[in-house]
Amino acid sequence: MNIDFKPKITIFHCINAFNEAYLQPLDVGKKFEVKVVNLACSSMVKDVFLLRAFEAGADAVAVLVCPEGHCRYVEGNIRAKKRIGWLQNLLDEIGLNGKRLYLFNTSAKNKPAIKDIIKQIMSDMAKIGRNPAA
Amino acid sequence: MIVGEQKPVAEIKELLAPYKKVLILGCNTCVKTCFAGGEDETAVLASALRLGFKKDGKDMEINEFTVERQCENEFIKEAAPMVAQNDAVLSLACGAGVQDIARLFMSTPVLPGVNTTFIGIQESNGIFTEECSGCGNCGLAVFGGICPITRCSKKLLNGPCGGSKNGICEINPDTLCAWNLIIERLTELGQLDNLRRYIPPKNWQTSLSGGPRRLVREDHII
Amino acid sequence: MSNATQGNLQKLLSEGKFVVTGECGPPRGANTEIIAEKADLLKGYVDAVNVTDNQTAIVRMSSISASVHLIGQGLEPIMQMVCRDRNRIAMQSDILGAWSLGIKNILCLSGDHQSFGSQPDALNVFDIDSMNLINMVKIMRDEGRDMSGFELNDPPRMFIGAAANPFADPFEYRVLRLAKKIDAGADFIQTQCIYNLDRFKEWMRLAREEGLTEKVHILAGVTPMKSAGMAKFMKNRVAGMDVPDEMIKRMESVQKDKAAEEGIKICLETIEDLRKIDGVHGIHIMAIEWEQKVPEIVEKAGLLPRPKEFS
Repeated sequence: MNIDFKPKITIFHCINAFNEAYLQPLDVGKKFEVKVVNLACSSMVKDVFLLRAFEAGADAVAVLVCPEGHCRYVEGNIRAKKRIGWLQNLLDEIGLNGKRLYLFNTSAKNKPAIKDIIKQIMSDMAKIGRNPAA
Repeated sequence: MIVGEQKPVAEIKELLAPYKKVLILGCNTCVKTCFAGGEDETAVLASALRLGFKKDGKDMEINEFTVERQCENEFIKEAAPMVAQNDAVLSLACGAGVQDIARLFMSTPVLPGVNTTFIGIQESNGIFTEECSGCGNCGLAVFGGICPITRCSKKLLNGPCGGSKNGICEINPDTLCAWNLIIERLTELGQLDNLRRYIPPKNWQTSLSGGPRRLVREDHII
Repeated sequence: MSNATQGNLQKLLSEGKFVVTGECGPPRGANTEIIAEKADLLKGYVDAVNVTDNQTAIVRMSSISASVHLIGQGLEPIMQMVCRDRNRIAMQSDILGAWSLGIKNILCLSGDHQSFGSQPDALNVFDIDSMNLINMVKIMRDEGRDMSGFELNDPPRMFIGAAANPFADPFEYRVLRLAKKIDAGADFIQTQCIYNLDRFKEWMRLAREEGLTEKVHILAGVTPMKSAGMAKFMKNRVAGMDVPDEMIKRMESVQKDKAAEEGIKICLETIEDLRKIDGVHGIHIMAIEWEQKVPEIVEKAGLLPRPKEFS
């Protein structure tokens, strides 16, 4: 499906799960825009930050956390997962579509993972469309 | 603490629909502890409402503010400047707080954003249970610290009904039979004989049944 | 007990006779013909009939009025009263009214929670509990006063019953509860229906040990199984029931069209065993949705003829 706009993607990530430099090989700015927010632990991603990202115009928000069982702070990624699940419901309730909010488990060692992540988001955005509240 | 649950966002949107400028007013005491209306929850709701109304194409200004408690004028007064700038207030406090806000800001509509439910505790992370119904005459000493008025679904005072099975109340598999808990506790305390004692019909005058209650402490009134 | 004006049930029990009581659920409407039909089935086969009070919190004709209709049909009712729907004021008032209408027996119960019923939105009462209710009727009867101490003209001299469940938890506490009900004023006890004879015998043994069988008449509850499905339902879904696995197996072991027969057989065996237990003064047959089987059960259990009612 062809996409007719340039999705704005905000990435929140735990510093152990991802590094902004991994975005370099991708054509950032051409087919999509990216904002990156790093966190010491993924559990620090408060609900309100994710919502404010949508208020700022993001079409998709992705939270990158370490694989389960590998969180440096033991449960940080579990807490993030629970919160994101809750928030996805809220986004559905206000008609924004919870599918815009993503949780990905990645490891900092897996540099190319971000390519597939962006690919999936782009494919979904082609179907879902722009943020209706942007 | 007083426990409550935030109303569904769809219901809140309907309550706010008649207005153009609304203040979401949070409370940082009880409702913060049960994740219904503290500062964080206020921020999330305000943001979600902004997104929701924008998506609907509705022109709506959502402001947010949180006070320590909405049941004492000393704290409520701090919200006065913000209240004055808005058409309506959505209070995320318990029912008492909502009413206290309404008392103080008589010319601004005050709407409830939380369904207040019970007086209770946080039994474990994220789980809250009802413990006290404010009967006005506490008999916890007899019952080993477990309240049969509140935690027995039938308010029985003289022992369990025939519906208690495996320590579970007949109404719901998630509800523990309070009388089973009482019997276990009293057995542990060596006070099971408490239950031989006949407890007469309760005097409900000290409860809500006797009318809305009022406490006057003369020693604190100047 | 000596203050009660004797109805048939009390008279028979005081004479040491083994009694049989049945049950009648009032209609879900004002149709008195249904009551007449049920009465016809039970007449001559039971000494008294329990009339339920909005059982499982489903609205039915009130037990006080259905009881009056039964009297009109020539039966002696045991009016049931639950604590769920009425406060003490309404209860005392209804007890006075019931007495004035000729109702001589009352069974005092907590009552099923309204969440089970067809109108779970309703606010429940539970102003007093069943223990308080037993004591309240006793005081009205023996002292001739209401709960405010006011002297009643023509106080109700009712025969007071209570329920007991030997199969609810915790087991050890159940006999203490029985003792408490007797002290509160219970004259007779009807138990939950019995399938686990061993557990019931143990409960009776403990009751005898405490001297309780000297102070109260215990009527053992029985309910015939219609099918293996019913047996399983009662085991798993009904609160306070103890249905042993052997019983389920037995019901499952016969052909479906023979299941009812087997259920009656089990019921009759149970009755035979119960009659032998010291302290059991009668049986209470709860043939739910199967009242037409009561005559057969009473006859085959060798409990006919029932003593004629004194006038």
